[in-house]
Amino acid sequence: MKDEDLVGLLAVFVPFSLMSIGGGASIIAGIQSDVVGVRGWITAREFVELFAISRAAPGPGTMLATLVGWHIAGWTGAAVASLALFLPSSLLCYAVFRLSNAHRERAWHRAMREGLAPVGTGLIIAGVISLLRLSEAVLLSTALAFGAGVLLLLFPRLSPIALILGGGCIAAGLAYPFFG
Amino acid sequence: MADEAADAVKRQPIVPLASLFLVCLKIGVLSFGGGLSGWLYQEFVTRHGWISDEDFASSLAISQMLPGANVVNLVVCMGEQLRGPLGSIICAFGFLVGPFFAVIAMSAGLSRMGDGPVLQATMTGVAAAAIGLLLAMFWRSARRYAGQRVGLVTVAVVGVTVGLLQWPLIAVVLVVAPISVYLAWQRTKHEG
Repeated sequence: MKDEDLVGLLAVFVPFSLMSIGGGASIIAGIQSDVVGVRGWITAREFVELFAISRAAPGPGTMLATLVGWHIAGWTGAAVASLALFLPSSLLCYAVFRLSNAHRERAWHRAMREGLAPVGTGLIIAGVISLLRLSEAVLLSTALAFGAGVLLLLFPRLSPIALILGGGCIAAGLAYPFFG
Repeated sequence: MADEAADAVKRQPIVPLASLFLVCLKIGVLSFGGGLSGWLYQEFVTRHGWISDEDFASSLAISQMLPGANVVNLVVCMGEQLRGPLGSIICAFGFLVGPFFAVIAMSAGLSRMGDGPVLQATMTGVAAAAIGLLLAMFWRSARRYAGQRVGLVTVAVVGVTVGLLQWPLIAVVLVVAPISVYLAWQRTKHEG
């Protein structure tokens, strides 16, 4: 039973590790559909909550995988999910870095960069759409998300953690009758 | 050029693994909400002078091009340049160990606080603001493709199929990425 969970975590996160083009934000949509939809390990609401925690906590957003692992199989699950997500991509990066360091401005290098970049960008907006679809208060979430995004573009030096706390306070205020 | 780079590396004093670990641990624990490559630049290039500006830039390009969290890739490259394979392991481990315990502590703490409507609403707001961070990230990178039809179409195809139609991400990437790289390859060839 437990072993099955750990193998399942590996089967989900190892492929995503090698697909996270442009960074961890690009695989949120995929992790969501696998973990919530295909495997049914956690509910949509739990997933949005884990996403929120992974973004409010320090470290890369991909610590989402650590949380999914923890949720399903405790400490072992957290360790296995983290390794499954971070090790394959790190090994690949290590290998490519060593091989390409000597000839860094090769044309293939540039083609890879320019070709993969828009795929990564498309995956980020796919993640945004997936997360908004899961939200229980779609209108409120969409409004807050766009508000936060616009604020960030207007004030690039805005602290992300202040923004996240602000979002939490506004939503709590609206839900609480005395403030609302 | 490769020889020059190799000489530069040889001339640098050996950075102790313990210092590497501590710097990465610090950045990992204090790294709230992204913008981490700026932090790494500050520590490795500006403060400690371990890595040259140019080496940092090329490491960053590789980190962003390859799959994986950009910062983790970046610390792997920094570690490799300074101390080889062991350096990479120490840097990645040092960077991730703090956030590993931090997210679990936060998650465990939250579930102990119960499931009241206010807490639920707060988490919805936190998630929404975090989605806003992704939106801003999306907008900044999407702007680069203005006037570049192939890039815009690629962004749209991936966004619609994976986001709206919920097609499997891996299948979409395995089809779209090679086409996109091939087209970029054709472009670079024509530009000489």
